[in-house]
Amino acid sequence: MQEHIDLDQKQVNETLLKDVVGTPRWWLPAVGFLGMVFLAGVGAFGYLLNKGVGVWGQNRPVFWAFDMTNFVFWIGISHAGIMISAILRLTQAEWRRPVTRAAEVLTVFSLTAALMAAPLTHTGRPWRSWLWIFPYDFERGVWPNVRSAFVWDPSAVMTYLTASTLFVIIALLPDLAVIRDRTTGMRQKIYGFLCLGWRGTPRQWKLQAVAGILLSALVLPVFVSVHSIVSWDFAVQIGVEGWHSTIFAPYFIIGAIHSGVSAVATVMVLMVWLFKWDKVLRPDHFDAIGRLLIIVATVWFFAFFLEWVFALYTLEKPELVLRELQVFKMPYMPLFLTFLVTAFFFPVPLWLFKNVRRSLFWMFVTTISVNIGMWLERFLIIVPGIIRRQPTEFNWGSYHPSIIEILILTATFAWVAMGMLVFAKVFPLVPLFDIKEGMVGRHVIKIGRKIVPASIRE
Amino acid sequence: MHSNGHSAHEGQAALATAAAVQQNLQQRHEKSGNMFRLAVLFSAGLLVLGVIGFILRIADGVSDTAMWGYYAAAFAFVLSTAVAAPMVAIAPRIAKAHWRRPISRIAELFGIVGIFNLLLFIPLIWVLPPLDNGRRTLWFFDMVGEPVPNYSPHIWATLAILALAAVGVMLLWVSALPDFAALRDRTTGRKQKMYAWLARGWYGTTQQWHMQKHRLGILGAFYFMMFIFVHFLITVDFLMALVPGWIDALYPVTHAASALQAGAASVIIVMVILRQWGGYKEYIGLDQFWGLGKLLFALSLLWIWFWFSSFNIFWFGRKPNEISVLELFIKGPYLPLFYAVFVLSFAFPLFFMIWNPIRKSIWGPTVLAVGVLIGIFLDRIRMYVAGYSVADQSPLHAMDHVPVANKPDIADIFILFGAIGGSILIYLLASRLIPIVSIWEQKELLLYKLHKPFHRTHVRVMGKPD
Repeated sequence: MQEHIDLDQKQVNETLLKDVVGTPRWWLPAVGFLGMVFLAGVGAFGYLLNKGVGVWGQNRPVFWAFDMTNFVFWIGISHAGIMISAILRLTQAEWRRPVTRAAEVLTVFSLTAALMAAPLTHTGRPWRSWLWIFPYDFERGVWPNVRSAFVWDPSAVMTYLTASTLFVIIALLPDLAVIRDRTTGMRQKIYGFLCLGWRGTPRQWKLQAVAGILLSALVLPVFVSVHSIVSWDFAVQIGVEGWHSTIFAPYFIIGAIHSGVSAVATVMVLMVWLFKWDKVLRPDHFDAIGRLLIIVATVWFFAFFLEWVFALYTLEKPELVLRELQVFKMPYMPLFLTFLVTAFFFPVPLWLFKNVRRSLFWMFVTTISVNIGMWLERFLIIVPGIIRRQPTEFNWGSYHPSIIEILILTATFAWVAMGMLVFAKVFPLVPLFDIKEGMVGRHVIKIGRKIVPASIRE
Repeated sequence: MHSNGHSAHEGQAALATAAAVQQNLQQRHEKSGNMFRLAVLFSAGLLVLGVIGFILRIADGVSDTAMWGYYAAAFAFVLSTAVAAPMVAIAPRIAKAHWRRPISRIAELFGIVGIFNLLLFIPLIWVLPPLDNGRRTLWFFDMVGEPVPNYSPHIWATLAILALAAVGVMLLWVSALPDFAALRDRTTGRKQKMYAWLARGWYGTTQQWHMQKHRLGILGAFYFMMFIFVHFLITVDFLMALVPGWIDALYPVTHAASALQAGAASVIIVMVILRQWGGYKEYIGLDQFWGLGKLLFALSLLWIWFWFSSFNIFWFGRKPNEISVLELFIKGPYLPLFYAVFVLSFAFPLFFMIWNPIRKSIWGPTVLAVGVLIGIFLDRIRMYVAGYSVADQSPLHAMDHVPVANKPDIADIFILFGAIGGSILIYLLASRLIPIVSIWEQKELLLYKLHKPFHRTHVRVMGKPD
């Protein structure tokens, strides 16, 4: 790309490894603060395990609220890694290079945050639901019920976590070898062990490239299945009108990509602000991710439109009442408006302007806005969906989040942020080998007075 | 050279200067052989059969919706193949993929078949019953206290299909402007006058080029939006609404995705014909089959995922309306068609196209594309014939019974032949007027491509303009 600053290989190493070899001044206080927030959440989680789900603000019939919202939200964010890494790698998009690892690491940490967010605890007695999900208690003949969406979920999420972790490790190998060669003592030994004997032979490079492409292709079906299955937690049941919709799987996936790619853009801005990697992450990288976001957001909005049109098309009274509750009744009306504005009507028109797409500040504001909106979207699907009184209900309560739920929610954010910062301290958050490969393949073609960016294509 | 005897870049290697490309492509455009004339005659014959079939059908009137199921399927087949094909030019152009250059006109030329599709649609306006029995419709909103106008679906769908056809023709025209001007400057007499009119004063100024690129982008985006919108209107008001209890928010998207798959398959078929028998071997090479093969593979996975997402909800939900919808379209009288569609449009593309040697070949994508086209043909019959055969169209929660399979009579068979023949005929005639391989895009490619030594080998460097 035209705006790239040409660095030699030594400069790439220096720029991207300075915070691995050394420690920035702000790093320890930031990690310490996030660690405290995380520990407060762990405390709240322990209290929850000790006292039971009664400490949440749930009342019959609202059995799912913050827990499932957070779970769906973080699974959504986890779609960032594969969208950026696998799809952009397969389509040979050059601008992906500095972003891939941050996106993959974000995937891993957000998946663990999703697991923390309570897929087991919302069942009330997690030690018992463990038995329903994992078939290990053979003697007593306890087997998981494979017809339950809650059994599909853990298998999909764990497969995705395994594949994403492999993705990170495979791409890290050449960079770990670079760090091994630039450290001494115990650190050198640890990096030497982690890089699995990488010497950069042609065979090793070939295997690493093939593994990357294979993992990209193989992880794509997992990526699709994970959020499809999360959506089917809701959609396969017929009890809640707003949930039993065929569009849920694609709607959830494109929503996940919307929030995930936005989160990657937020992380990109933070990488420039915190680590000063402005020589690697250029305005045209933000421009490219901004254009991608316009397409993703528009497709997501179309799915949202279809979901609503077909809800109204049924002309079923319960469905219409639910939609009225979501849009016109307090306290959901302001939340619904906020959701629409923050997830679509504020960021997307702004992204149409090149200056906005190339501005770090505006990309930060708009992408944070998207994720506020996308969290609210999940909340508005879940809580108003089940708060409506059903004919056979004997007890009908409302829902207010308790401090325990808020602490756990905050802890998931702290966990992901802390995880990213700790990772960036131990491993390079921008793949060195990918940047170098991009520089080798970069070229320009002169057409008349115009210089056109070009790259080697095979 | 590759082991299968085809160079990966043979499509772009043969002609090195803009003048040579211009001369070569113009010569090919002006030449038409016996095979072409035979194809025109054959497709015209099919169209005549279609007209006979239509006359036989209309003689029985339009009040029995079930009788028009095959006609609706023929319309939907053209909508899902020829009318979807221009997307094959639009999407890679937006992504600035150079491999699309020799095939973008092949795809855009299908835009003109949109006019035929509009003609095919007109009788359906009479076939679709009005809303006075309370049938569901997309236009359900009673915003001003008045009942929904009885013919809302008819009006809006007609306007949408008209707009889609118009945008398709405009896209083709704007894309062909530089080629019309080039032909104007190299022909004489009546032909020159015609091309001069078609070129709309094109002289290739910087501003004209800038505007053309800009308009191609806007028209492409607009075609895509109209394409999705038309599939949305047709699938809901002209199919889904005819089946009581069928409420599937995803079906319009499934319909559009499978249409994109069939559009890609249609372009592959034309590509192989031009390459093998049309003399365009220097332009249409492995790169094009590989690129489109990958797209076909991705779209095969996409539509089946959409289909499964719908199926899973119905199969798991098991509400009475959902059971009856599955019974009608899948498990019931049309089960053999469903199996055929599943195998031809999904299983074969999946299990063969995962292998790169098959994707990166001439005949691999071609054979699978033929299968996909047969698959989409059977799928549209499965859906539309079944949907139109439901007699009771009141807003019930579910069908009271699943109708038996509606087998085609001679008029239906003629109509299906006619729809296919008419589309081919229009395409063939348009290809005599407009160069089927875009001359300017081939010339532009020469600017963006260079070969350079790289260590011990030579590599191809491709420019990607902002």
